[in-house]
Amino acid sequence: MTQPLSGRRVLIVEDESLVAMLLETILEDMGCTPVGPASTVAEGLSMVAADEPLDAALLDVNVAGSQVFPVAQALKDRGVPFVFSTGYGEGGLPDAWRGQSTIQKPFTEAAIRDALMAAMGVENV
Amino acid sequence: MSQNAGQCSGRDCVNCLRLRALPSDLGEAGLKQLVKSGDLAVDLATAFDASPNPYVVLTPDLRVAGANKAYFEVTNSTRAIIGQPLFAAFDSGPGEEAPENVRRVKASLEKARDTRQRDHLALVRFSIPRARPDGPPVMEERFWSATHTPILNAEGEVVWLLQHTTDITELEQLRRRIETTHGPASSSALDAMIGGNVLERARIVQEDNLRLASERNRLVEMFMQAPGFVAVLAGPTHVFQFYNDAYRRLIGYRDLEGLASAEALPEVVGQGFIDLLDSVFATGESVYGQASLVKLQRSPGAPPEDAWVDFVYQPIRDSDGRIVGVFVQGHDVTEVVKATERQKLMIDELNHRVKNTLATVQSIAMQTARSHPDPRTFAESFQARLMALSHTHDLLTRSHWEGADLGAVLAHETEAHGPHRITQVGPPVALTPAAALSFGMIFHELATNAAKYGALSSPEGRVLVDWSVSDHLHPVLTLSWREVDGPPAVPPARKGFGSRLIERNVRHDLAGEVKLDYANTGFSAEFSTPLDRGKVS
Repeated sequence: MTQPLSGRRVLIVEDESLVAMLLETILEDMGCTPVGPASTVAEGLSMVAADEPLDAALLDVNVAGSQVFPVAQALKDRGVPFVFSTGYGEGGLPDAWRGQSTIQKPFTEAAIRDALMAAMGVENV
Repeated sequence: MSQNAGQCSGRDCVNCLRLRALPSDLGEAGLKQLVKSGDLAVDLATAFDASPNPYVVLTPDLRVAGANKAYFEVTNSTRAIIGQPLFAAFDSGPGEEAPENVRRVKASLEKARDTRQRDHLALVRFSIPRARPDGPPVMEERFWSATHTPILNAEGEVVWLLQHTTDITELEQLRRRIETTHGPASSSALDAMIGGNVLERARIVQEDNLRLASERNRLVEMFMQAPGFVAVLAGPTHVFQFYNDAYRRLIGYRDLEGLASAEALPEVVGQGFIDLLDSVFATGESVYGQASLVKLQRSPGAPPEDAWVDFVYQPIRDSDGRIVGVFVQGHDVTEVVKATERQKLMIDELNHRVKNTLATVQSIAMQTARSHPDPRTFAESFQARLMALSHTHDLLTRSHWEGADLGAVLAHETEAHGPHRITQVGPPVALTPAAALSFGMIFHELATNAAKYGALSSPEGRVLVDWSVSDHLHPVLTLSWREVDGPPAVPPARKGFGSRLIERNVRHDLAGEVKLDYANTGFSAEFSTPLDRGKVS
């Protein structure tokens, strides 16, 4: 199997370093380049605002006590596809974001890849 | 009442009573006959005075306005009582039961007046003075039966009360005498003879009425004190007739009595509750609500408050089955609803933490596996890290996840290596749960490294840990981990998971800085982290 997401730059917003390290490892295994990780909403926003190219993002819903939705909105405005990661599942999302591609903790590599591909509209080859 | 001034003889003028008594007392035929016979008023007055039935006419405040001859005779009184309050003229004497007897007659009169309905008093004891030729009058106990009839003016207001009273003392005494001599069993024969059965029945009905009246009061009292809210709404606009303390509490102690619901509680009109009442009133079908949200403006100008109620609206029917009102009852379940919401939040939060912790464990497993290709050493390392995480959890559980003390976290993670080999010096520092978990992992990695390659790998080596907190407005923790009397430290050729975890954790989770120093005298690490980072993991 080839690596459909090879070379993609994926922003990580996640407040726990161990979980962020896990995501980085999984992304690297898929041939992606992790960007970040941002540990707060403010840090995430400044990374989205920066001119760095981004192909996608993985957003922890609850970041250091705040909700990540401002970052999600900024990404949407910039046209960058993203995936929520949460312990709550899709049911934990407010109505405005329901239906958005979501992965649940703990993760599997396959779940992350499928969610990213769905968000980015990439076909498996 | 003075249109007949020509014939009127003052305030006791019975002529003035004439008209209103006519339709019911005489009937159409009697009226025609009287009209034919000449002056209607005069005839009536004469008839009234000549009647063998005792009549007394009272003002609404229960003063004697007039009476007929039969009344004066049966009560041993004279025209002197005219103008007096009835119960000043007749006080039932000094007997023990006198106040109660007065009360019953008065209650019946007031009921007739206030309800504008005729009221019957089947049997009442009432003592009246009896004149004696050879001395002052004596009080004599008599038994009476009385009917009290309100007399209304064109506006429907009570202007007079007519008492028709009958002295039934002889009948009652006879009945009692026979009952005492022959026992109650023989009273049926007497009943047949003197109609005592009717009397008895009347008395029972009256006792029932009294019992029902007190029952009603007791029910009202119970409704008043009921824990749930209760209201009685009358008519198609749902006018508040009765509501209890719990209802008052619910709506914020507003005055509702006599007001239509939409007028009394304007804020609920747009919330559908009046429509529900309308439907109950129109269809007669009860309506139930469970944990229904109602926004109540409990005090003027204040923002509406949310309340959740369980309630039922039931139709109230009169004896003909017509719906005349709506009975409202229910419970304020606001606290229950809020507690349920809090519980749901807590369960969600717990689930979130569990899933987060599982992701953390997943990460530890994955990273550990990368640096331990041998399954045996992987298991050992992984287990040790899992235990480190678990130890900090234990500490946090003890404080109900409010936080943990830095020294306690350090002691927990290093005690396996012998407490005397690690010296800690520093003030108590309260760590948030997230910071405690981070420091727990960091101390575990430092101690493990020291035991493998550093001071704790040689018998004399020791670790000195000291810390301080500066700048109390935005407190910053400075902590140093120094290994002494061990082998010289050698920088690793490749950064292992342990040192990556330490660096990442300090920077990412604690928003601080760390410097690792591999000196000849031994390994050391200097940490600097802010303590006021309000973090929730």
